[in-house]
Amino acid sequence: MTRDETAHLPLTIEDVDRDGALLETVEAVAGTTRAELLRRAAIGSGALLAALAAPATASAARGRAQDTAILNYGLVFEYLQSGFYTEAESLGTVRAMSSEREEWARTLGAHERAHVRIIKDVLGRRAAKKPFFDYRGVTEDPDHFTRTAVAMEDLTVALLGGQAPRVSDLGLRAAFFSLLTVEARHAAWARRIVGVRPVGSALDAPKTLAAVDRVVRSTRFIVSRPRTAGRTPPRFTG
Amino acid sequence: MREVLQRRRGGRALAALLLVLAAGALVLGFDVLAPAPPDAGAGASADAGGDVVAPVLPEPVEPAFVPGAPRALGSTRDLSRFAPVRRPTTARAGPRMSAAPVAELATTTPEGTQNIVLVLGRTVAADGRIWARVNLAVLPNGTTGWVPREALGGYGAVRTRLVVDLRALTATLLRGGRPVFRADVGVGRSEWPTPRGEFYVRNKLTKFANAFYGPLAFGTSARSEVLTDWPAGGFVGIHGTNRPDLLPGRVSHGCIRLRNEDILRLARLMPVGTPLTIR
Repeated sequence: MTRDETAHLPLTIEDVDRDGALLETVEAVAGTTRAELLRRAAIGSGALLAALAAPATASAARGRAQDTAILNYGLVFEYLQSGFYTEAESLGTVRAMSSEREEWARTLGAHERAHVRIIKDVLGRRAAKKPFFDYRGVTEDPDHFTRTAVAMEDLTVALLGGQAPRVSDLGLRAAFFSLLTVEARHAAWARRIVGVRPVGSALDAPKTLAAVDRVVRSTRFIVSRPRTAGRTPPRFTG
Repeated sequence: MREVLQRRRGGRALAALLLVLAAGALVLGFDVLAPAPPDAGAGASADAGGDVVAPVLPEPVEPAFVPGAPRALGSTRDLSRFAPVRRPTTARAGPRMSAAPVAELATTTPEGTQNIVLVLGRTVAADGRIWARVNLAVLPNGTTGWVPREALGGYGAVRTRLVVDLRALTATLLRGGRPVFRADVGVGRSEWPTPRGEFYVRNKLTKFANAFYGPLAFGTSARSEVLTDWPAGGFVGIHGTNRPDLLPGRVSHGCIRLRNEDILRLARLMPVGTPLTIR
């Protein structure tokens, strides 16, 4: 994975989440106060960890708004995954891999696109907009691609495992667990593809938002959309 | 050390739990594993023989949604990619640092927007470095060059293409290869011809309050080959007009003019990054 010269500088969440997609969902899931602390904190600082470790307010932990926020949180990660597989497939990276890996990548890509579609349908107008991604060449290199896929699938499992129990609507919770089990199979398949044991331990520990955020930061995959609109008077030839 | 102790405690707790479960199963005579009779009510009960019958477990919860069939990737035939220039870089004649420089790429356009390039292809050099072949907004029109992949940001993808026909004086927007928009245009007069070739739309300007350009203007990578000393480099724009009565016609300094209602309609359909064919 490419790292530029700014990689050693302390990052704020806005450096990795310039469109605010993650912050919006953190705010909805964890409350405005923690999102505000996140906004101010340098990632990895004690303030950030304290903000995320604080218990959620009772109101934020209940109801439909909470479920919407959790679904949107899941949607952002489904966008991230589906974009990852789709880009690798459309660039020809997947086609250049062995037939076994090709089948794996195409299958997972097709699943992630189906996940995005259904969650967007369920959320309707409340669906989070798709962030802009910069996969930094990872989707163009078969080895980087497969290794990153393992991390991404493991992360999604840990994320869903942490959030699914917080879904208040029973049917939605059941749907979340259905997604979780599929993502767990994806993770196991990805691990087998790269020669890592499909199962690490007897029990999976869910990840906190802080842990998820650290992984997202390390990838720097979510970036601001290129600013291609302006209000400068044109000086074209006319 | 503390972690080891915690692990041991956890192991003991798990063993104890398993023991309790095993004892429970023995007490129930393993009925917990047997299917419950169809008429069994909720909660534990005793059958005629006095044996304990396992409580009936609730049915699984119906998921609120079920994803549809896996979605295979559609055709990529009409897909084009663009990428922002992340850092100033030199475009070269080949995919290697020793190749001759073709042009310098800045991170911003003369209009102050983020500079983007249309990505035409990629290759991996012998050293493992990825290079992208890009369409350059320089003269002569149609110039391409190779830049290191890390100098570019993430790929954006579009399925649209704008085709400007200089003979028919029309602009047609294709999406997925099918026309979705068509309008009359004004193009360059014979002394200031609109250049032919393959270009791309690189920015969109609004609210600039200049009636000559209408309500909205797209900047393109095409440049006038005649008006080279024009401010900001003589770039060809696609914009509205305060003289709709002149359209269609050969009336401009090289820009592509549309009626104001048409440019606004086009703006709703055409994303920045769209390839532009002028023929």
